[in-house]
Parts: sequence; C-alpha cells; structure tokens
Amino acid sequence: MASSTSGLTFKLHPLVILNISDHHTRVKSQSQRPSSNCGDSAASSNSSAPVASRVYGCVIGVQTGRTVEIFNSFELLYDPNTHSLDRSFLEKKQELYKKVFPNFYILGWYSTGANAEESDMHIHKALMDINESPVYLLLNPLINHAQKDLPVTIYESEMHVIDGVPQLIFVRSSYNIETVEAERISVDHVAHLKPSDGGSAATQLAAHLTGIHSAIKMLNRRIRVLHHYLNAMQKGEIPCENSLLRQVSSLLRRLPAIESEKFQDEFLMEYNDTLLISYLAMFTDCSSTMNDLVDKINVAYDKHSRRGGRTSFI
Amino acid sequence: MDIELKQSEHIDHFVKQASITTDSSSSLANVIIEATSHPSLFAFSEILSVPNILQLQGTDNSAYFDLLQMFAYGTWSEYKSKASNLPQLTPDQVLKLKQLTMLTLAESNKVLSYDVLLHELDVGNVRELEDFLINECMYVGIVRGKLDQLRRCFEVQFAAGRDLRPGQLGNMIHTLSDWLGTSDGLLITIQDKMKWAETMSEKHKKHQKKTEKKLEQAKNTLSLKKLPTISRPTWTPKNMGFYRNMMD
Repeated sequence: MASSTSGLTFKLHPLVILNISDHHTRVKSQSQRPSSNCGDSAASSNSSAPVASRVYGCVIGVQTGRTVEIFNSFELLYDPNTHSLDRSFLEKKQELYKKVFPNFYILGWYSTGANAEESDMHIHKALMDINESPVYLLLNPLINHAQKDLPVTIYESEMHVIDGVPQLIFVRSSYNIETVEAERISVDHVAHLKPSDGGSAATQLAAHLTGIHSAIKMLNRRIRVLHHYLNAMQKGEIPCENSLLRQVSSLLRRLPAIESEKFQDEFLMEYNDTLLISYLAMFTDCSSTMNDLVDKINVAYDKHSRRGGRTSFI
Repeated sequence: MDIELKQSEHIDHFVKQASITTDSSSSLANVIIEATSHPSLFAFSEILSVPNILQLQGTDNSAYFDLLQMFAYGTWSEYKSKASNLPQLTPDQVLKLKQLTMLTLAESNKVLSYDVLLHELDVGNVRELEDFLINECMYVGIVRGKLDQLRRCFEVQFAAGRDLRPGQLGNMIHTLSDWLGTSDGLLITIQDKMKWAETMSEKHKKHQKKTEKKLEQAKNTLSLKKLPTISRPTWTPKNMGFYRNMMD
C-alpha cells in the first residue's frame, strides 16, 4: 500500500479509539451470548470459531487547511445486502451533532479488521458525496503484544493509474495523537487500572511500588547501555564520538539531582508529618477499641453492685 | 541536547576548512581565530584532531595551536597566567573564553556563589555579572539555572558539556557505574519492600483467623456448660444473655 501524497496531517483524539474499541467489544459480547444460550450443537460449532464481525461507523471532526483533526465518532449500521451504510440514520445523527458541535463535519468513516478490503471502497465512494475526500480509519482488534504502536491505520483514497485504468485505491497516511487536558486525565485513569475493590493496604502498596520499580528498571537499563558504550569507547572498540561524550558529561554533571539543604529539610518534614498522622490514627483506633471493651465490661460486671441498676458509668 | 545539534553544522564546516587549507600555517591560524570567535561554537576537539592542525604544533604558529587547546580545555584564569605565550584575543574570543569558563565552573559545583564568579570571570560588579549570565549564557542555551540574589549564588540545573580531556573518560565511567550500582540497590530494596508488605498482610490475615477461631471455641464452650453465676441465680437466662453479649 503506497503512502499518501496529499500532505495532510492527521490528528487523532483518543476518544475516537476508545469509541471504536468499545463498539467492537459490545457487538462481540452481544453476538456471543445469545449463541451460547441455545445449546444447539450446530450453533455452538458455529460460534466456536471466533469470527468477530466488523463494525462500522462515522468519524467527525474539523478540517482547517492542511490539518485534519478527528474528534469524535459514532456507530452506523451496515446493510450487507446493499453493501452500504444506513444513510438516513447517518443524516439524522449528523443533524443532531451539528446542533451540539456546529464546527464538526463528517470527515470519514471507520471499521475494524486487519486489512483494508475491496468492499470498503464501495462505502468509501458512497461517502464521497458528503465529503469529497473522506478518510478511512481501520482498527485492528487483534491484540499483538509484540507491536508497540497503536493498531490504528488511516487511509485516504487517491486516483492511481493501474494497468491503464484510473482507479481509486487506498493509501496509508501517518497520524499523530492529540489530546485535550480532560482526555489526558481519562487516558491516565485507564492506564492505571487498580483492582476494583480497592484491595487491602498491602495490595495498594504493592501496586504503587510495582509502578516505581518498573520506572527505575527502565532508567537502569538505559544507564547500563551508556556505561557499556563508554567502556567500549575507552577500550578503543568504538571510535570516539566527541559530541556524544560531551552530552554524557553534561548529563553526569547534573547528578546528584537533588541534594540541597532545602530538599533535606522539606523531605524530613514531610516524613515526620506522615509518621505523626499514622501514629495519631493508631491512637484513635486503640482508644476506640478500649472504649468498647470498657463498655462491655461495665455491662457484664457492674450490674451486681447495684440493685436493679442497668446503667453503668464511665 | 539542542546545543549539540546547533553546533554540529559549524563543527563540520570548520573541520572541512581546516583540512582544505594546507598551504600555510597562517591561514590555518586564521581558521582557528574564526572558529574561536564564532558565537555558537563551543566544541573544539573535532577541530583539534584534524591532522593539519596537529602539524601546527611544531611550527612558528604553534601559539595558535596552544590557543585552540586553551579554548578546548582551559579557563580564563589559565589564559591570563599564560597570556605572554599566547596571541592577543579579540573581544569575541574573550567572551567565548568566559562562557567556556562558566561551563568549567559548573562542572565542579552546582551552586556557584557570586564571589567566585566575579573572581573567575573578572567582572566588576554583580549587575554586569548578571547581565553576562543572562544574555551570554542562558539565552545562548549553554547553561540553565536559577539566579538567587538573596543568597548571591547561581544554581545550575543544566550545563552543556565541554571537550573532554583524555583522562576524564575514566571518571565518567566511574560515575556511571556508581549510578548503576545505586539504582540496582534501589530496585532490590523496592522488591524487598513489596515482599515485606505481602508477608505482613499474610501474617495479619492468619492472626485474624486464629482469633476468630478462638472466639468460636469460647462461644461453643460457654453455650455447652452452665456457668456459675456471679449474681443472683434467679436471673439465669438473663445472665446467659449478658455473657453472650460480652463475647459478641
């Protein structure tokens, strides 16, 4: 697949990715449950092959000059008979969105799958009357642990001459992820999923420490690489590269990063505060337990010293 | 490190020029003067390693070679002590040497007092010093830090690297291995802490279970036997009720 030549820069908001993956997950879970309920052997053999059906939808956003910014998306129904998306629904949704976000236009459509297919071109052409050059966003729902990037690709359509026939084909484009402050908070929240019941104090501490541990491990790995490189340079295996050496020396000069008096003072103050608060909490806990115990003893033993008296003091 | 990016073009340019001019050592001297007065060039070891320049050592213009070395490794005070052997400096070169002195000072301490700076840089008063620091060092980008006027010091957060003398590489490797050792130790400490947290929570759970078991046993034994009551035996059912409440 050739790469795009239109020179447009694409900016993708994480909300779109979450919407598409949510749509896909919902459809997948809804399609699996009814088939597991009918204990038919034919149905179960059909549902045992995990063929996830493709989901379709529309992406909307703003296009200013050469920058295309995709903000939001919504789902559409795909009619397999006519190989097209539900037009009336699309127009109704477009009207509704226009009322809330007057700036947003329909920029294109999305779908899930591993590769772009020929049938997608039909849908693409159908959308070309709303937007003369729509974008096609493809999300690959298969989880590939080796892959470091997001499984999202953006395709544009271009007219290429193939075998003497001018045809519209999909060409890939690159994109950047762009976030607003609110989106960054929610993405951060999703990234740090904690166990839902909160766990005991030990599990929370363990989760926190694990985060720190992995961060320091990454730093450690990188320092090790530098160390190895410098050693090799000293032994003469690698020719000396002065600019790199200068950068490393300026980096090392920043260590120790925090060692002024002010830091020590503030650190110790905060440490003492934390210890004080936990001591205080322990105190309160102990005194409330003592109080309960005293009440019970009163109830149990005090009554024999007074006639008919159920009340106790302390 | 954007300084390095900015410098790399100039370095290439001067290295090319130095290798091209083979005719006379005076033109090489001119190249050196140009390089040392260039406002954005702070790295000279590449130029020092060009063979034409190295040849300059033996000839009449070896003073220029010493000058280049001074700019690569030395400071303003070193220049002043050897001023008789070295050629005169233009104001551009003086400025550059002072900037490089700044970088060397930032190597040793992170907090530089104004007095030290006034002395090393030969500046008259604090106002000129601050102007020099702000305009020539921070806006150029070789140094980043905070000026503390109350305590009359300059805290360095980042300083660009100078050319390395051959011996300094060993120090850097030593520092790196220390850093590596510290972070390894820290990783082990964190892992130990996590294991400690787990074992403590296990112990706590076990302790809770034990006490609950004891409680159950006590309840069972009490409900089985008839207790010798402390108070009036006529209130036996209520006694049992109170004892049960206490156990709960």
